[in-house]
Amino acid sequence: MNNMTYYFSEVARINDICYPNKKQLDTVIGTRHYINNHYDKEVNLSFLSHIRYTSKFHLLRLFKRYYGQTPKQYLIDRRLMKCKELLASGQSITDTCFDVGFESPSSFSTLFKSKFGLTPTEFQKRATFTKSDNF
Amino acid sequence: MKVKVIGIPVQDQEKALKFYTEKLGFIKKIDIPLSEGNRWLTVVSKDEPDGAEILLEPSPNHFEPAKVYQKALFDAGIPYTQFNCEDVQKEFERLSSLGVEFSVKPTEMGTVKIAVFNDTCGNQIQIVQML
Repeated sequence: MNNMTYYFSEVARINDICYPNKKQLDTVIGTRHYINNHYDKEVNLSFLSHIRYTSKFHLLRLFKRYYGQTPKQYLIDRRLMKCKELLASGQSITDTCFDVGFESPSSFSTLFKSKFGLTPTEFQKRATFTKSDNF
Repeated sequence: MKVKVIGIPVQDQEKALKFYTEKLGFIKKIDIPLSEGNRWLTVVSKDEPDGAEILLEPSPNHFEPAKVYQKALFDAGIPYTQFNCEDVQKEFERLSSLGVEFSVKPTEMGTVKIAVFNDTCGNQIQIVQML
Protein backbone atom coordinates (compact mmCIF):
# COMPACT_ATOMS: atom_id res chain seq x y z
CA MET A 1 0.00 0.00 0.00
CA ASN A 2 2.73 2.44 1.09
CA ASN A 3 4.77 2.34 -2.08
CA MET A 4 1.92 3.25 -4.38
CA THR A 5 1.85 7.03 -4.11
CA TYR A 6 4.21 9.70 -5.39
CA TYR A 7 4.02 11.26 -1.92
CA PHE A 8 5.23 8.14 -0.14
CA SER A 9 8.16 7.70 -2.54
CA GLU A 10 9.13 11.34 -1.88
CA VAL A 11 8.86 10.82 1.88
CA ALA A 12 11.19 7.82 1.62
CA ARG A 13 13.65 9.68 -0.62
CA ILE A 14 13.80 12.78 1.61
CA ASN A 15 14.04 10.62 4.72
CA ASP A 16 17.18 8.98 3.31
CA ILE A 17 18.72 12.36 2.54
CA CYS A 18 17.82 14.16 5.77
CA TYR A 19 17.98 11.41 8.36
CA PRO A 20 20.76 8.95 7.45
CA ASN A 21 22.20 8.82 10.98
CA LYS A 22 20.11 6.50 13.17
CA LYS A 23 22.38 6.95 16.18
CA GLN A 24 21.89 10.72 16.16
CA LEU A 25 18.13 10.24 15.87
CA ASP A 26 18.11 7.86 18.83
CA THR A 27 20.06 10.42 20.86
CA VAL A 28 17.73 13.36 20.22
CA ILE A 29 14.52 11.33 20.45
CA GLY A 30 15.75 9.75 23.71
CA THR A 31 16.58 13.21 25.06
CA ARG A 32 13.15 14.55 24.16
CA HIS A 33 11.46 11.56 25.82
CA TYR A 34 13.53 12.09 28.94
CA ILE A 35 12.44 15.74 29.10
CA ASN A 36 8.79 14.73 28.54
CA ASN A 37 8.95 12.33 31.46
CA HIS A 38 10.98 14.50 33.85
CA TYR A 39 10.04 18.09 33.00
CA ASP A 40 8.91 18.67 36.60
CA LYS A 41 12.42 17.90 37.93
CA GLU A 42 15.65 19.78 37.54
CA VAL A 43 16.88 18.94 34.04
CA ASN A 44 20.06 20.45 32.66
CA LEU A 45 22.28 19.96 29.64
CA SER A 46 25.12 18.36 31.62
CA PHE A 47 22.82 15.66 32.92
CA LEU A 48 21.11 15.08 29.57
CA SER A 49 24.44 14.70 27.79
CA HIS A 50 25.70 12.38 30.53
CA ILE A 51 22.77 9.95 30.17
CA ARG A 52 23.13 9.95 26.36
CA TYR A 53 26.93 9.40 26.53
CA THR A 54 27.68 12.51 24.52
CA SER A 55 29.17 15.96 25.03
CA LYS A 56 27.02 18.92 26.04
CA PHE A 57 27.77 20.90 22.92
CA HIS A 58 27.23 17.97 20.58
CA LEU A 59 23.84 17.26 22.16
CA LEU A 60 22.89 20.93 22.03
CA ARG A 61 23.79 21.10 18.34
CA LEU A 62 22.01 17.86 17.48
CA PHE A 63 18.82 18.67 19.36
CA LYS A 64 18.60 22.08 17.76
CA ARG A 65 19.23 20.62 14.31
CA TYR A 66 16.50 17.97 14.62
CA TYR A 67 13.87 19.87 16.64
CA GLY A 68 14.66 23.48 15.80
CA GLN A 69 15.09 24.51 19.43
CA THR A 70 17.52 23.82 22.28
CA PRO A 71 16.72 21.24 24.99
CA LYS A 72 16.26 24.15 27.44
CA GLN A 73 13.77 25.90 25.16
CA TYR A 74 11.91 22.61 24.67
CA LEU A 75 11.85 22.00 28.44
CA ILE A 76 10.37 25.45 29.05
CA ASP A 77 7.72 24.94 26.33
CA ARG A 78 6.84 21.53 27.80
CA ARG A 79 6.44 23.02 31.26
CA LEU A 80 4.35 25.91 29.99
CA MET A 81 2.08 23.53 28.07
CA LYS A 82 1.43 21.62 31.31
CA CYS A 83 0.92 24.91 33.17
CA LYS A 84 -1.93 25.86 30.87
CA GLU A 85 -3.63 22.53 31.59
CA LEU A 86 -3.23 22.92 35.36
CA LEU A 87 -4.33 26.56 35.40
CA ALA A 88 -7.38 25.77 33.26
CA SER A 89 -8.33 23.05 35.76
CA GLY A 90 -8.36 25.69 38.53
CA GLN A 91 -5.07 24.94 40.27
CA SER A 92 -3.40 27.88 42.03
CA ILE A 93 -0.62 29.77 40.28
CA THR A 94 1.96 29.03 42.97
CA ASP A 95 1.18 25.30 43.02
CA THR A 96 1.25 25.19 39.22
CA CYS A 97 4.62 26.93 39.14
CA PHE A 98 6.24 24.44 41.50
CA ASP A 99 4.44 21.37 40.12
CA VAL A 100 5.98 21.80 36.68
CA GLY A 101 9.49 22.47 37.94
CA PHE A 102 9.76 26.27 37.93
CA GLU A 103 11.36 27.69 41.04
CA SER A 104 10.02 31.24 41.34
CA PRO A 105 6.36 32.27 40.94
CA SER A 106 7.31 35.80 39.90
CA SER A 107 9.74 34.63 37.19
CA PHE A 108 7.11 32.11 36.11
CA SER A 109 4.49 34.85 35.72
CA THR A 110 6.88 37.02 33.72
CA LEU A 111 7.81 34.10 31.44
CA PHE A 112 4.16 33.08 30.99
CA LYS A 113 3.18 36.62 30.01
CA SER A 114 6.07 36.94 27.57
CA LYS A 115 5.04 33.68 25.86
CA PHE A 116 1.26 33.99 25.80
CA GLY A 117 0.60 37.71 26.24
CA LEU A 118 -1.45 37.08 29.40
CA THR A 119 -0.46 36.67 33.02
CA PRO A 120 -1.28 33.25 34.56
CA THR A 121 -4.12 34.94 36.48
CA GLU A 122 -5.59 36.48 33.33
CA PHE A 123 -5.21 33.17 31.47
CA GLN A 124 -6.96 31.29 34.29
CA LYS A 125 -9.85 33.77 34.40
CA ARG A 126 -10.31 33.55 30.65
CA ALA A 127 -10.12 29.73 30.65
CA THR A 128 -12.70 29.49 33.43
CA PHE A 129 -14.95 32.01 31.68
CA THR A 130 -14.72 30.15 28.35
CA LYS A 131 -15.58 26.86 30.03
CA SER A 132 -18.71 28.24 31.68
CA ASP A 133 -19.57 30.07 28.44
CA ASN A 134 -19.64 26.74 26.58
CA PHE A 135 -22.51 25.62 28.75
CA MET B 1 -3.48 38.31 13.50
CA LYS B 2 -4.65 34.93 14.70
CA VAL B 3 -5.15 31.54 13.05
CA LYS B 4 -8.85 30.95 13.51
CA VAL B 5 -10.12 29.01 10.47
CA ILE B 6 -8.36 26.60 8.10
CA GLY B 7 -10.27 25.52 4.99
CA ILE B 8 -10.42 22.01 3.60
CA PRO B 9 -12.15 21.59 0.21
CA VAL B 10 -14.85 18.92 0.27
CA GLN B 11 -17.09 17.57 -2.46
CA ASP B 12 -20.07 16.93 -0.18
CA GLN B 13 -20.47 18.92 3.03
CA GLU B 14 -22.92 16.58 4.74
CA LYS B 15 -20.74 13.54 4.01
CA ALA B 16 -17.69 15.48 5.21
CA LEU B 17 -19.43 16.46 8.44
CA LYS B 18 -20.23 12.82 9.14
CA PHE B 19 -16.67 11.70 8.40
CA TYR B 20 -14.95 14.43 10.40
CA THR B 21 -17.24 14.00 13.42
CA GLU B 22 -18.14 10.31 13.46
CA LYS B 23 -14.80 8.88 12.30
CA LEU B 24 -12.18 11.48 13.20
CA GLY B 25 -13.93 12.60 16.39
CA PHE B 26 -14.11 16.35 15.76
CA ILE B 27 -17.16 18.27 16.98
CA LYS B 28 -19.36 20.62 14.97
CA LYS B 29 -18.77 24.26 15.90
CA ILE B 30 -20.59 26.48 13.39
CA ASP B 31 -23.25 25.57 10.83
CA ILE B 32 -24.81 28.52 9.01
CA PRO B 33 -26.91 28.01 5.87
CA LEU B 34 -25.76 30.01 2.83
CA SER B 35 -27.16 30.22 -0.69
CA GLU B 36 -27.87 27.22 -2.97
CA GLY B 37 -27.63 24.62 -0.23
CA ASN B 38 -24.09 25.57 0.80
CA ARG B 39 -23.16 26.05 4.44
CA TRP B 40 -20.51 27.81 6.51
CA LEU B 41 -19.62 24.62 8.29
CA THR B 42 -16.79 24.27 10.77
CA VAL B 43 -15.56 21.56 13.13
CA VAL B 44 -13.05 21.68 15.98
CA SER B 45 -10.95 19.21 17.92
CA LYS B 46 -12.61 17.78 21.04
CA ASP B 47 -9.35 18.43 22.87
CA GLU B 48 -9.22 22.05 21.75
CA PRO B 49 -12.80 23.29 21.34
CA ASP B 50 -11.52 26.87 21.30
CA GLY B 51 -8.68 26.13 18.93
CA ALA B 52 -8.56 26.65 15.17
CA GLU B 53 -11.70 25.66 13.26
CA ILE B 54 -11.66 23.45 10.17
CA LEU B 55 -13.90 24.92 7.50
CA LEU B 56 -15.39 22.19 5.32
CA GLU B 57 -15.83 24.23 2.17
CA PRO B 58 -17.53 23.06 -1.02
CA SER B 59 -15.07 24.90 -3.30
CA PRO B 60 -14.44 21.94 -5.70
CA ASN B 61 -18.12 22.07 -6.70
CA HIS B 62 -18.05 25.76 -7.57
CA PHE B 63 -14.59 26.59 -8.87
CA GLU B 64 -13.06 24.33 -11.50
CA PRO B 65 -9.39 25.09 -10.66
CA ALA B 66 -10.08 24.10 -7.02
CA LYS B 67 -11.45 20.78 -8.26
CA VAL B 68 -8.43 20.22 -10.53
CA TYR B 69 -5.98 21.13 -7.77
CA GLN B 70 -7.70 18.87 -5.24
CA LYS B 71 -7.71 15.92 -7.65
CA ALA B 72 -4.04 16.39 -8.58
CA LEU B 73 -3.00 16.36 -4.94
CA PHE B 74 -5.18 13.37 -4.19
CA ASP B 75 -3.89 11.35 -7.15
CA ALA B 76 -0.28 11.99 -6.07
CA GLY B 77 -1.15 10.96 -2.51
CA ILE B 78 -0.14 14.40 -1.21
CA PRO B 79 -1.95 15.38 2.00
CA TYR B 80 -4.10 18.50 1.80
CA THR B 81 -3.33 19.21 5.45
CA GLN B 82 -2.24 17.46 8.61
CA PHE B 83 -3.40 16.94 12.18
CA ASN B 84 -1.27 16.16 15.20
CA CYS B 85 -1.98 13.22 17.46
CA GLU B 86 -0.36 11.55 20.45
CA ASP B 87 0.05 8.11 18.92
CA VAL B 88 -0.12 7.56 15.16
CA GLN B 89 -0.11 3.77 15.44
CA LYS B 90 -3.11 3.75 17.79
CA GLU B 91 -4.98 6.25 15.62
CA PHE B 92 -4.18 4.16 12.54
CA GLU B 93 -5.64 1.09 14.21
CA ARG B 94 -8.70 2.93 15.48
CA LEU B 95 -9.48 4.52 12.11
CA SER B 96 -8.75 1.32 10.17
CA SER B 97 -11.25 -0.51 12.35
CA LEU B 98 -13.82 2.12 11.29
CA GLY B 99 -13.11 1.42 7.63
CA VAL B 100 -10.86 4.41 6.92
CA GLU B 101 -8.39 3.72 4.09
CA PHE B 102 -4.73 4.62 4.47
CA SER B 103 -2.40 5.35 1.55
CA VAL B 104 0.60 5.56 3.93
CA LYS B 105 0.69 3.27 6.95
CA PRO B 106 2.49 4.50 10.10
CA THR B 107 5.99 5.42 8.96
CA GLU B 108 8.86 7.03 10.81
CA MET B 109 10.50 10.00 9.16
CA GLY B 110 13.28 11.40 11.28
CA THR B 111 11.78 12.83 14.45
CA VAL B 112 8.16 12.27 13.44
CA LYS B 113 5.87 9.37 12.67
CA ILE B 114 3.27 9.93 9.94
CA ALA B 115 0.35 8.16 8.29
CA VAL B 116 -1.96 9.33 5.48
CA PHE B 117 -5.64 8.50 5.01
CA ASN B 118 -8.45 9.20 2.55
CA ASP B 119 -11.09 11.53 4.01
CA THR B 120 -13.65 10.26 1.42
CA CYS B 121 -14.32 13.88 0.41
CA GLY B 122 -11.50 14.23 -2.11
CA ASN B 123 -8.49 14.66 0.18
CA GLN B 124 -5.57 12.80 1.63
CA ILE B 125 -5.02 13.85 5.25
CA GLN B 126 -1.83 13.25 7.22
CA ILE B 127 -1.61 12.54 10.93
CA VAL B 128 1.66 13.30 12.67
CA GLN B 129 3.25 12.37 15.98
CA MET B 130 6.42 13.95 17.28
CA LEU B 131 8.85 11.27 18.39
